[in-house]
Amino acid sequence: MWQKLKDGIEIRIGLTDLIENRLRQYRVPSDTNIFYTLGIVTMAAYVVQAITGYFLLMYYVPHSEHAFRSVQDIMTIIPFGWFVRMVHMVAANLMVALLFIHFISIFFMGSYKKPREITWLAGGLLLLVTLAFCLSGYLLPWSQRSYWATTIVSNLPTAFPVIGDALANLLRGGDSVTGVTLTRFFSLHVGFLPPVFLSIVGLHIFLVWRIGLSVPPLSQSAEEESEWTEFRHATYSRSYPFYPNFLLKEVSMIMLFLAVTFFIMSFMPTLFLPEAATTPADPLNTPADIKPEWYFLAPYQMLKMIPNKFLGISLQIIAIIVFLFWPFFDTRAERNIMKRPLIFGLFLVLLALWFLLTYWGRYSA
Amino acid sequence: MKRRSFLGVLGTIFGVTAFGSVAYPLLRYLGPPQAKIDAGKQSFKKADVGDAREIVFQNTPAIIINRPGKGYIALSRVCTHLGCLIDYDRKSKKLICPCHAGFFNLEGRVESGPPPKALTTFPLRVEGEDIIIG
Ligand code: HEM
Ligand code: FES
Repeated sequence: MWQKLKDGIEIRIGLTDLIENRLRQYRVPSDTNIFYTLGIVTMAAYVVQAITGYFLLMYYVPHSEHAFRSVQDIMTIIPFGWFVRMVHMVAANLMVALLFIHFISIFFMGSYKKPREITWLAGGLLLLVTLAFCLSGYLLPWSQRSYWATTIVSNLPTAFPVIGDALANLLRGGDSVTGVTLTRFFSLHVGFLPPVFLSIVGLHIFLVWRIGLSVPPLSQSAEEESEWTEFRHATYSRSYPFYPNFLLKEVSMIMLFLAVTFFIMSFMPTLFLPEAATTPADPLNTPADIKPEWYFLAPYQMLKMIPNKFLGISLQIIAIIVFLFWPFFDTRAERNIMKRPLIFGLFLVLLALWFLLTYWGRYSA
Repeated sequence: MKRRSFLGVLGTIFGVTAFGSVAYPLLRYLGPPQAKIDAGKQSFKKADVGDAREIVFQNTPAIIINRPGKGYIALSRVCTHLGCLIDYDRKSKKLICPCHAGFFNLEGRVESGPPPKALTTFPLRVEGEDIIIG
């Protein structure tokens, strides 16, 4: 019976051939380290977001008079509603953390160099889209924290002369945050961003698959280093099959991600839920300690410190553009960052600055 | 004109017209009409000397302050930095923004912190027991 079913499927789909030729014979370099799995782990985080987000949608009401109540009901009345919401919230934070580590490791290993520039660009866009997910999702519970954090962020464009105010009003659908802003962010969060995210992921993964994984710079052989003058799939001097070897590595890292998610939910449940997140939005009262999420603290502190609003925001836009197009600026073929002391030093300084600003933003007035 | 370049020009014209006719409505769609409750003037109760009263004037959170020796002033509470609402601190006689420590004096002018300009002032008149703004 089972065999008959298997044969029936085999005749129609050719699974054995797929597994044999597309997975088993697909090679990855044997020097890949655990950082090579971060992309898939981030994708798993997205899938977790999509599933929990879908369940939240069943009870969440996107209206300024009901949103806060509906989220409280999810937390207290709906059986295991707290579970669904906490997973969505914790995994959202971890997803951003994963993207940061993914990006830092790609940078250190020089994997963005020719021919992988477009892969980097797509990845950079994915980071921006994920931050847009977080920003729009943040408003949805309609708490004091949601309301005032969104007020601050949606006022950032006003730093631009002439078009600034119009831009901010377009974003909010009015000159302050209202129910119109809530439905607007809701439609972004659940309707617009997911297909955009998935299309870019498609391109990103297609390119990784098509070109083949990079070999870590320290174990690159001369042949692997040869100049890319026409399209070819990467070839390796030492490699192992994608399936089952590498896939197993990926699955165990996904399990680590899930373990961290559930560990935080069980033992540090208020890590991402300060008091202002559990008070309903009050447009006539700004609470004392409004801080953005940890990943926005550094840019936020930078904005606070630069006395000129326009200068502060322009600097950040330039930084984003340089980040997105970095492989097109840094075209030297040398992939070993140890042989590029200047770039290496500069990047360490930037990282240190980021941590410093984050710490400062967290603890300053 | 060759048949092919004529078709190219025609296609471009139609394309631009179609695109423009879609882009304009969509852009307008994104900016809903503002609830204009332009009541013109509104009247409010007086406050004691040294006290302040938080009000909402034409959809904007505002504050009426009875400044000792200088009389009433009506200011918008919306911080000119990034839009948080300022609070009146009775002790120091200052208006303080809780978000990035912007300080304003009782005329609404910036004393310290990141706000780039003074708070909006509303014209105000005292009539008997009432304060008329607008
Ligand atoms: C990369 C993907 C996503 C990220 C990073 C993300 C992030 C967030 C964040 C930060 C919140 C606020 C959490 C809170 O304070 O409670 C939120 C809320 C929400 N999200 Fe997502 N989200 C993602 C995908 C989705 C998807 C795909 C859906 C639906 C199809 C969804 C539906 C919702 C809903 C309904 C809420 C409001 C309920 C609540 O806050 O508990 N999300 N999201
Ligand atoms: S919003 Fe008032 S100081 Fe920044």
